[in-house]
Amino acid sequence: METIRNALDFSDFPRIDLIGAGLVLIFLLIFPLLPLSAFAMATMIQFLMFSIYGMGWNTIGGYGGQVDLGKAQYVGIGAYTTSVMLIRWDIPFWVSMPIGVCFAVGWSFIIGYPLFRLKGHYFAIATIATSLVLKDLFEAWNFVGAARGLEISPIKYRPPDFLRLIFKEDIYYYYVLLGLFIIGLFYINWFRKSRLGFQLRCIKDNENVAESLGINVRWAKVKTYAIATAFVSVVGSFHACYIKNIEPEDTMSLSISILIALMAMLGGAGSLWGPIIGAGILIPLKSYLKEWLGAKAGLVGIDLIIYAIIIMLVSAYEPRGIWGIVEKVRRRKRR
Amino acid sequence: MALLEVKQVTKAFGGLRANDDITFSLETGELVGLIGPNGAGKTTLFNCISGLHPITSGEIIFSQEDITELKAHEIARRGLARTFQVYVASGDLTVEENVMVGCFMHTRSRSESKTRANRILQFMKLQELSEYLVSELPAAAQKRVTMATALGSEPKLLLLDEVAAGLNPSEIEEIMTSIKSVHIDMGVTVILIEHVMELVMKISDRVIVLDYGKKIADGNPAQVAKDPKVIKAYLGERYVKEYAEKLA
Repeated sequence: METIRNALDFSDFPRIDLIGAGLVLIFLLIFPLLPLSAFAMATMIQFLMFSIYGMGWNTIGGYGGQVDLGKAQYVGIGAYTTSVMLIRWDIPFWVSMPIGVCFAVGWSFIIGYPLFRLKGHYFAIATIATSLVLKDLFEAWNFVGAARGLEISPIKYRPPDFLRLIFKEDIYYYYVLLGLFIIGLFYINWFRKSRLGFQLRCIKDNENVAESLGINVRWAKVKTYAIATAFVSVVGSFHACYIKNIEPEDTMSLSISILIALMAMLGGAGSLWGPIIGAGILIPLKSYLKEWLGAKAGLVGIDLIIYAIIIMLVSAYEPRGIWGIVEKVRRRKRR
Repeated sequence: MALLEVKQVTKAFGGLRANDDITFSLETGELVGLIGPNGAGKTTLFNCISGLHPITSGEIIFSQEDITELKAHEIARRGLARTFQVYVASGDLTVEENVMVGCFMHTRSRSESKTRANRILQFMKLQELSEYLVSELPAAAQKRVTMATALGSEPKLLLLDEVAAGLNPSEIEEIMTSIKSVHIDMGVTVILIEHVMELVMKISDRVIVLDYGKKIADGNPAQVAKDPKVIKAYLGERYVKEYAEKLA
């Protein structure tokens, strides 16, 4: 009971935040009804997907301060589990998605336990390495289509197929994803106030202090890493049904991992709204850069340069991102 | 019955013996001061007892249980809390939240932890500061917060590492009152590392002196203050002239 109450309780935010969040939510709810291009719709779905990725990353990376740059491997595990199961055995999304989460979480325990012996930059580099190794394995593994990837052919099904999540129009995908987004938001709102959430924030401050307060630091990190993984894997499964054509390069590459981390880092690591703000800025920017500057002006790779600049600016000036600046201003005003 | 028994504990860092064959025991309800010059191994001893450093040899018994091999968080869960000399708060947690982390040791419920934390904040006279970030507070208040956080875990034994360092005389007076009330009103056994002699000598039942990793004295404050070895190693002649007579 208390858990549900805590998940639904946003009362510790100032009223202006709640009004802002309410307006954004209303906008998200009515967005598909507005007369907009398919490009805008696709961008919006990307925004929701990366918001959820970012929320997941934010648990371990933001609240826990463990910069994880290997989240793409779990996108891959989720996406591949769903694709393989659908194509080979016709298992619907709502069954394969939880199975994908189990695989991803299982894998996260296997690599998380040794990885969390490492700290700081070493941990970050190790997460990149594991993710790249897994990607290489998938590129060589014929069962999952190797480097060619897998294709879910929509002709075999009769859309709208809610069980398998095969639709013709993006609007269905949009609302399914919005549902996941809202559940995710409530979960994180509970998480940040839970015992594990508090323990992680203490770990971020000082691990020795955390140990001396009875917190099993490594276990707390591994648990949270698994939570972050579950978030990412769910959206990975969704990604498979939405894109219908997955290959290691576009689900498990380093740039996906970096983009996931960047959502929360830019918006505000360790805050509830951070990843959503980050995704709200970066995804339209990314779409625009790809569509216009990349394709039309021939500046391929400009998006990567811009991400790099953002990472440098955030870590040099305000490690807590945009939301960190907002909170700083508020604290200054209060005094 | 002894609450804590430290038996022949040695901690070596390479060739350096930071703690060399230290033996003492602590009765329930005592308030013991641990003093000695810089580098004598006081904080190392705390780190060994609280499990942050594995010891090289020896044995540590807490509440009749051998905790020598246990990890820091397992020892903390058995009722041994500590504070740190330098507490670097990155500024993420407010005072109340900090204390709640301690309280979460015994409960999963947020509301229960919050109620407990508020009780402790009131006890430590910190309730007006509960909404501030720890990093925004002056040193004296930060020290009280670290004590409050440790108390959140409802310890049987509390190790205080230099809670009076860097404070002015009136703040020292305040923190001394806090330590006393933790000891008497909450019934917590306390062992404290301190360089502020007025404080140690006034409130301790017993004082243990370390020098170069070895225990050189152990006794009531007046005895220890007269011990020639302690005077030579740490207190100095001037201190003895000024203060020791008051104590005697």
